[in-house]
Amino acid sequence: MSRVLATYNIKGGVGKTSAAVNLAYLAARDGSPTLLWDLDPQGAATYLFRIKPRLRGGSKKLVELRSDARDLVKETDYRRLHLLPADLSYRHLDLALDSFKRPTRRLLRVLEPLLGDYEYVFLDCPPSLSLVSESVFATADALLVPIIPATLSARTFSQLSDLVAQGRRSRVQVLAFFSMLDVRKSLHREVMARLRAEHPDALLGAAIPAADEVERMGESRTAVAEIAPGGRAALAYEALWWDVRRRLAAAPRAGR
Amino acid sequence: MSALELLAPAGSTLERAAASVAGALTVREGPLRRMRLRFYDTFDGRLRAAGLTLCHEQDDPAAGGGRLALLARDGGELLSAISAPPLPEPALALELPEGELRRRLLEVVDVRALLALAALDARELALAALDARQKTIARGRLLEPGSNGDGELRVPVRLVLRSLRGFEEELEAIGPRLLQRGFAPARRPLVDELVLAGGGSPAGTSSKVAVKLIPTQRSDAAAVAVLRRLAEVMDANLDGAAEAIDAEFLHDFRVALRRTRSVLKQLADVFPPAERERFRVALRDLQRATAQARDLDVYVLEFDAMVALVPERWRADLRPLRELLARRRELAHRACDRELRSERTVALRREWGELLEALVGLAGEDRPGAERPIGELAGERIARVYRRMVKRGRAIGPGTPAAEYHELRKQGKELRYLLELFGRPLYDRRLVRSLVVCLKDLQDVLGRHQDREVQVGMLRSLAPELARAPGGPQALMATGVLIEALCEDEARAREQFRGAFEDFAAKGMRRAVREAFC
Repeated sequence: MSRVLATYNIKGGVGKTSAAVNLAYLAARDGSPTLLWDLDPQGAATYLFRIKPRLRGGSKKLVELRSDARDLVKETDYRRLHLLPADLSYRHLDLALDSFKRPTRRLLRVLEPLLGDYEYVFLDCPPSLSLVSESVFATADALLVPIIPATLSARTFSQLSDLVAQGRRSRVQVLAFFSMLDVRKSLHREVMARLRAEHPDALLGAAIPAADEVERMGESRTAVAEIAPGGRAALAYEALWWDVRRRLAAAPRAGR
Repeated sequence: MSALELLAPAGSTLERAAASVAGALTVREGPLRRMRLRFYDTFDGRLRAAGLTLCHEQDDPAAGGGRLALLARDGGELLSAISAPPLPEPALALELPEGELRRRLLEVVDVRALLALAALDARELALAALDARQKTIARGRLLEPGSNGDGELRVPVRLVLRSLRGFEEELEAIGPRLLQRGFAPARRPLVDELVLAGGGSPAGTSSKVAVKLIPTQRSDAAAVAVLRRLAEVMDANLDGAAEAIDAEFLHDFRVALRRTRSVLKQLADVFPPAERERFRVALRDLQRATAQARDLDVYVLEFDAMVALVPERWRADLRPLRELLARRRELAHRACDRELRSERTVALRREWGELLEALVGLAGEDRPGAERPIGELAGERIARVYRRMVKRGRAIGPGTPAAEYHELRKQGKELRYLLELFGRPLYDRRLVRSLVVCLKDLQDVLGRHQDREVQVGMLRSLAPELARAPGGPQALMATGVLIEALCEDEARAREQFRGAFEDFAAKGMRRAVREAFC
């Protein structure tokens, strides 16, 4: 049965898509059949994989289960890595989910036919606090939360931790990691130290640097490991992936 | 996933074909490889029939190694692969390393040997077809066949493209563009082209006998048609049986031989009496001369199933028995090989063929059944054997000697062959099928009963030699436990006999047989 990992943060531009794409790439490279579901109507992950951001029938038909997700999956250029593409209609996904009795269970229902085919399912989530996010909390085994080590980001993370703890799905693991880290900045160093002290269990050891090759992903439309295989960012994602798997192995699966 | 398999325009080299492809679509070329390809299947084409191709690819024959791959026959999708050298000739799936490839092969080929169908030196250019976003929509290759060892092959350059998941429509759209460049759809997979180029039959050699008969046909002509096909099956399997390539060759040879003897017996009236008797004896002797090798094949192949009847803690003690059976099997096969290649057997096959050639033209005074319509004669025989089985089976009870069960089983085989060779082509298919099903259930019970008795006899006969082997005393004790388990199974088969026989001899079946065959 699949492990469902969602890259999530209320704030945008913190490295969710980069993390989803690079970690999914590593999972597939290591031999695990992997699916990435791009839930963001912006479709950044879909763009990086050079796939058209379009779902036949749109997202409404998908969540109503009138489309079979298996028919909509596209194979990326990387072996064992598949994508459920973004679609502009995801901007109305909240509305579509709200029409159901148990709306937060809907995403899982969509994924169910696929779960046996993949070892990992990554959800690249839009930056929002909405029914979609609550559905992601209910579906995922773990939230991978990138945090830029700055004051406001730290505040947002605390809010998120409280929100998840309050929800019915408090069993989802929250695994945060520092993203776009610049160790030359004293503020980054200070915030990192403080957050590690405040959230020792939720924060992973690996941190993703602010690196040129991550920004160049949008140009080359490839994973960081293909742009600069031995570079800082590639090595950081390898460490992050190792860290995530270790934490997943140690934790019981969230009952769905 | 969908696939496109096309042939390049006649006379194209790999380079010219690649240029044509690049003119029709956006492609990314991969490395150019030289390789040796070998294709394998069983004698009877089991992999092909199951929609599979087994192929070995090797970049450098001098270095050894390579990859053994199981592919879907249509489209060439890779299903499973292992690093391995080329297969020895012949090869058994059981001898491959444990894993998915072996498991998948065993499901299809079972004990049949994997034989080399064709070999080929080729150049391959890997290709990826891209869309306007530079996204790969399909992967594949251009393959330029070179030599197969016997000379240059007149087999065109082949393009195979398989879509990535979700891009099936995009791949379909590519097809017409390539056709406009002179590519043509490949009617056959490469392996079939190679086999045909070598003068072989891609479907392999079947031992099935399905001869079309007409009810009004003369019985001797019908008999000749069936017997000729049976002779073909024996000829096709003879070399494989003599060399013991795999156990199925001898099995198929003997089944065809047994069926031949059955036709000779059941349609006796179409043969001249002297010839009939001569061949009855000669074919019987050939059957007997090959029996031991077949029996030992079965013991060795089913040894694990037999040993499973013994408690686990004693199974290892039976290793000397397995080794003894293997030695005996080896000796029996040598004797079988000598018999199959002997002057006597060569003469028998030749003379039998001559008789079949001449039979219909022979005078009919001493062949009263020759001109009778086969629809009448075969029906008569089927009904008669059935009635005799019903009569014999009714007389069998729990205390009846084993010999009576064996006789009933022999009659069952006669009936089965009549139904398969003459019943199916001439009579109501549904009735024949339902009668065959009932008969098969009955034969299964009778077969188990007889097999267990024979196995017990065989094991007891091995006791002196087993006792002398290293580990002999323990092996003897474990064999004693095995014999007890076999006797219990024999007794169970007896208990099951009545139920199976009642279905076979049911009133409705008797009436149906009367109406259809009399």
